[in-house]
Amino acid sequence: MLFTLITVLAFAGVFFRQTRLHYAEANARSGKGPEAATPSGYGAWLGSHLKSAFSKAAALKSWSILADWTKDHDPSWTGWIFAGFGLSLAYLAASGFFYAIFIPRGMSGFPLLGHMGFGGLFALTLAALLLWRGRAYAPDNGEVETFERKILFWALAFFGFVLIVSALGSMLPLFVFDAQRTFIGVHRYAALGLVLTAIVFVDMTLVPSPKA
Amino acid sequence: MGLSQAEAIASLRSQRPFLSHSLRAAGRPGRRHPQPLFLVPSIILLAVFSLAAIGSSAEKQKWDGSRISPVHQIPLKDEFDQPIVPAESNPLPFSARYTCAPCHDYAVIRQGLHFAANSPALAARPGEPWVWVDERTGTQIPVSSHPWKGVWDPARLGLSDWDLTLLFGRHMPGGGAGEPGDKDMTAESRWSVSGKLEINCLGCHNASRRQNPSEWAKQILRENFRWAATAAAGLGEVGGISSRLRPTWDIFDGPNPDDSEWAVAPSVKYDRTQFDSKHRAFLDLSYKPDDARCLACHSTSAERMRKFDFEEDVHTAAGIKCVSCHGHDVTHAMVRGYEGEARDNPALPAEDFTCRACHLGSVSSRGEKIAPGRLGAPYPLHKGFPAVHFDRLACTVCHSGPMPAKEASRVRTSRANRLGIFGVADWSTALPAIQEPVYIRDGNNKLAPNRLMWPAFWGEVKDGRTTPIPPDKVLAAAGDILFPEKAATRVLAALFNVAELDGTPVLAMGASAYEMNADGGLTATPFDGENPEGRPAWAVCKDGRFAPLVPAFDPTNVDSSADPEARIQKILEALNAADGAPGKAALAYRDFLYQLIDGGLDKSERKDPAAARPLFGWLKDGKLAPFVPEAEARTIAALAGTDQTLTEAQVAEVLKALGPADHVYVSGGVIFRLSAKGTLSSETGGAAAPIAWPLAHEVRPARRALGVNGCTDCHSAGSDFFFGRVRGAGPLKTETVTTRSASSYMGLVKPYQFLFGLSFTARPAFKWFLGVCAALIGSLLLIVGLIALGRFAGLIEKRS
Repeated sequence: MLFTLITVLAFAGVFFRQTRLHYAEANARSGKGPEAATPSGYGAWLGSHLKSAFSKAAALKSWSILADWTKDHDPSWTGWIFAGFGLSLAYLAASGFFYAIFIPRGMSGFPLLGHMGFGGLFALTLAALLLWRGRAYAPDNGEVETFERKILFWALAFFGFVLIVSALGSMLPLFVFDAQRTFIGVHRYAALGLVLTAIVFVDMTLVPSPKA
Repeated sequence: MGLSQAEAIASLRSQRPFLSHSLRAAGRPGRRHPQPLFLVPSIILLAVFSLAAIGSSAEKQKWDGSRISPVHQIPLKDEFDQPIVPAESNPLPFSARYTCAPCHDYAVIRQGLHFAANSPALAARPGEPWVWVDERTGTQIPVSSHPWKGVWDPARLGLSDWDLTLLFGRHMPGGGAGEPGDKDMTAESRWSVSGKLEINCLGCHNASRRQNPSEWAKQILRENFRWAATAAAGLGEVGGISSRLRPTWDIFDGPNPDDSEWAVAPSVKYDRTQFDSKHRAFLDLSYKPDDARCLACHSTSAERMRKFDFEEDVHTAAGIKCVSCHGHDVTHAMVRGYEGEARDNPALPAEDFTCRACHLGSVSSRGEKIAPGRLGAPYPLHKGFPAVHFDRLACTVCHSGPMPAKEASRVRTSRANRLGIFGVADWSTALPAIQEPVYIRDGNNKLAPNRLMWPAFWGEVKDGRTTPIPPDKVLAAAGDILFPEKAATRVLAALFNVAELDGTPVLAMGASAYEMNADGGLTATPFDGENPEGRPAWAVCKDGRFAPLVPAFDPTNVDSSADPEARIQKILEALNAADGAPGKAALAYRDFLYQLIDGGLDKSERKDPAAARPLFGWLKDGKLAPFVPEAEARTIAALAGTDQTLTEAQVAEVLKALGPADHVYVSGGVIFRLSAKGTLSSETGGAAAPIAWPLAHEVRPARRALGVNGCTDCHSAGSDFFFGRVRGAGPLKTETVTTRSASSYMGLVKPYQFLFGLSFTARPAFKWFLGVCAALIGSLLLIVGLIALGRFAGLIEKRS
């Protein structure tokens, strides 16, 4: 229950923060001062943007942005690594949070088999991404990426590492009952951290600045 | 402090039996009637003291804090609350109700789990039901007053308290059905003869090795209910058999002076060495009953297991008693020890005697934190077990009962298979066929190991509902169909009376020889004698060697045939005297027919083809019919050496005999009925569904638990845990039974479990793969962390 509460609050908080930032940016672009940012104005802005976000045009545009970004950052066959990473992350997040929040008995059956399989893909693609793209986000690399994105990138790597270790730990005949219980908690909260980080990262990296 | 309720009642009762005392002094028990003179003050006194009694009931049970138990050198009381004087002629049996009453509240105790048929403690989670077994008719019906799935309420089966006590009293502790209310004491029952079956306190609390459950069972069989506790405790010797007494007899009638051999009224002769000069008996009682007392009714063992091989529960081996976990206070509201029990029975005095509470610790429903380690319970490490196992499996899945096998194994239980009753006769029964372990979800939605039984009964279908037909009605309709051995035992019993045979008469068929057993049935042993024609032949067995009933001889030679013919005469005489002989016994040998005419042996020539060997039979309408008709012989041979008691041919015959209504026979998870062509058809349905109840013992330690060899103990493509089979079993010898996989009882998808199990073949490689990935990512994170630290410390410059 606590995890569900924290998850809902965290997602709501991130959603609010990111949309609020975009709203403020949109106001600034249209020459309005900070005093113009009112709750009702924010609500109206959010409503119109949410409505357009679910349109076919928005979907096509998102895909185009993602394709362009992948072309720039992961050219040639390395695009498959990014695709695999994205796909596994999407499945793992969807199946994991759905069962953690809505199914008290937890995951089982074919979704669990899928979770295990995509977990392997996630581990492989995350390691590959770090090898291929990590240098761009290195702390001593001063020009390619912003500080915030560097932090997010390595936070994402850290949470991924914790996820892999906690999953692996529960398979090894080394850890006792209490440790196994702890692994479950750690795995869930690391997953939450990773997904929130990924959302912010994607928002900062891929979502274009709002028009004035 | 006022008198307690029991004391008040006792004081009132003590005013009653002046008359009976005087009669008793005269050596003749008499009827006791309340004296009108005392009736009015008795009622007033009772009312006055009743209020005080409510509070004093608890006082009576009050513990002074000492951990020792008092020595029970106490006066025994009979069922009229009168002290027992063992030297008196015709003393009555002792009554636990009144003997224990001065210190223990019988009314409270009788609400306990073992005595109250409708105890809420038993309502929620199924327990082992009573099983109404009648081997002859192939009946095994689970019976219980509790609303458990698949069991039959005694009332629906027409079973009264009297019937229940007679059927199951052998393993009952008294009370409950054995102590019916006045309205249940129907005219058909014989409660006034047998007396009530009071709670037998000594049945559990007697620490003496003289406590004899077999004696208890014997007394129940004899309908000596009120004498059973006295006899079982070894306080005295009980003679007489209530079941043979006329229904109008009651305890005041005393011994029957006209019959000292058959209808002998029960009586007790107390062992005076157990009494002191004040007529107080020493009862060696233990506060916590010994395990042997529990096991008298709660033993289980795998079928065909040697006693030597039995591996006792790890808790027992550690010196923990049954009652250490299954404890209770004076209410006898016994802890069953399963998770969620407090939810089912909030009145339980203790709720934390679960595996989890003792070994892992837990929080009670009252919010109390329960620390692990009670009675030295070790804290389990469960290294390498993902936590999901503890959420979805009861501890008993891995730690209790037998390991899963390709097929669920057969187990016998005291109550179902009548174990633990020793004597000349073998009381135990192979039926009902109970199987274990079968994993089924419990009330907590966790898998738990269960025992499972397939009901078997003859039934009548009305409006789509199948109702069992009582065995006596089936027997009445079926006649000799259900007694295939009757023709053979009739002959064997007659041959026992032929002294000249010098051995045990047997019937030889195929590779088996059948001799009559103490129960009037047939026992098969391997036959290695001569029977070249293979058809049923009669022989004599001595010292394990078989000889023909009549040795070969030349009937035409007068000199050599005299002795064999004398033997034939004796045999024919015995056979003709057999009960229910369907004709006149005769012997065909070569061209001659031997029979008795006017008491003498008559030898006449016969027209039929010559009989190469002596051929006995019944002469009917001038024809010689075999002693055992072919159909009966086939049935005997088919059932020899099996646990089954019926063949498909018998079922078809009985269904015909039961009449035109829609009758069925249920066995092994299948419903059999007669088709329009008169052949047996089969179907599955609700009435044939098995019933199950959780098992908890014997508990195995970690090193002998399921999973000790790793995940593949369960998670493999061919694991017995998921893919073992549970095959229907019952009294009917047939191949048409219901067979289900273990996973279907779990409510799991078999293909998924197969795939999941298969994934474990790649699991070691997957772990290495994840380990390498984790090491790589971890190394990069470490490097990045060090670089960031270097940047922060100014040791590393930013790259352009």
